Amino acid sequence: MASLRTTSRLLAASRPMFRPAFARTYATVEPTPSEQPKMKTFKVYRWNPDQPSEKPQMAAYDLDLNKTGPMMLDALIRIKNELDPTLTFRRSCREGICGSCAMNIDGVNTLACLCRIPTDTKSESRIYPLPHTYVVKDLVPDLTHFYKQYKSIKPYLQRDTPTEDGLEFRQSPEDRKKLDGLYECILCACCSTSCPSYWWNSEEYLGPAILLQSFRWLADSRDEKTLERKAALDNSMSVYRCHTILNCTRTCPKGLNPGRAIAEVKKMLAV
Amino acid sequence: MASFARSSLLRQTLAAPRSPFCKNVGVSQTVAFHASAKKQILPPLPQSVQGTMNDPTPVPEAHPTHGSYHWSFERLVSVGLIPLTFAPFAAGSLNPVMDAVLCSLIVAHSHIGFQAAIVDYFPPHRVPKFRSLCNWLLRAFTLTTAVGLYEFETNDVGITEALRRIWTA
Repeated sequence: MASLRTTSRLLAASRPMFRPAFARTYATVEPTPSEQPKMKTFKVYRWNPDQPSEKPQMAAYDLDLNKTGPMMLDALIRIKNELDPTLTFRRSCREGICGSCAMNIDGVNTLACLCRIPTDTKSESRIYPLPHTYVVKDLVPDLTHFYKQYKSIKPYLQRDTPTEDGLEFRQSPEDRKKLDGLYECILCACCSTSCPSYWWNSEEYLGPAILLQSFRWLADSRDEKTLERKAALDNSMSVYRCHTILNCTRTCPKGLNPGRAIAEVKKMLAV
Repeated sequence: MASFARSSLLRQTLAAPRSPFCKNVGVSQTVAFHASAKKQILPPLPQSVQGTMNDPTPVPEAHPTHGSYHWSFERLVSVGLIPLTFAPFAAGSLNPVMDAVLCSLIVAHSHIGFQAAIVDYFPPHRVPKFRSLCNWLLRAFTLTTAVGLYEFETNDVGITEALRRIWTA
């Protein structure tokens, strides 16, 4: 690790120093001199907990798309670096694997790092935090309840009997295949916060993300607590507030299908 | 949390650009966020976290009659209604048994549908009295509908024949 860092520092030193010191890293594009600036307006939801009496506002920032990376996260980081360091948002991996930068961009819940900036410079882009969440600051939602619900479904392998040879619990390729489309979920909460049923009843309804994870453990051939897991869901609120609106499937930035997973849960409970 | 500390006075004076963001370079304008109505229906409560951050949310007790049995029954009724709607016209014969089954399924189907709306929109921890009022109203309407359909079936031509007459009128 240390050697890697030294190498990257050496590489950085050999590059022309066009970045300010202590800048956050983001994709930039070297502008060609002949190009006209492509200015696009980004309207970003701002709310500061230090001024609780101020109403939330939409702040407008203008960026030249020729100098900005292709993704919304590049634009946000550039705004934070160059225009307004008080802008607050979560980000980590910048490649759609951590789920930190989930937000509502142009009316769709998605990951900022997987969302291309629309090249149409006439229309502005509007960025909000995930809808119907308690906002901590600016684009940062409070996901405490979401994580507590995730914990309530016991998202781990529950098994009492050991294997015959005392080694790991093995699975046939067919059984493993049942988990495809379920294990990829990164719990970014895009689907749950796009679900009207979850907006109204998030206290008791688990929401698409948590139900997809429920199904991931119900479908696991190695898990032995299927009956207990089913009993925990068998009430009027946990699953059955799903009315197959399918906003979850439409919005999932990872291309998963939580709506189908909930339908499978309902089928498992029915028979 | 504090985003709910809204007052009407603040809302009126919002137009004045008092935000610290305005002074920053690059912020060309700030606009009032939205012009929401003063009176919201069931506005969200301030955030409250039950237990500590690391406690799971409580797992409700299993009630299959409100859960899986209820869902299976609802799906059977919904699926059953499709052929029953067409069958009398396709068969071309007036059958009182078929009419009776159709009427009872319609009553059950609409009762379950409206009940789902009540469960969705009137949480018992927010509006317990209004919720039970709605439930009793629904029961009253369902009973009235059932009695009305029974009267129509026994003392008049019945819904299938009535529909046929309206259709060909």
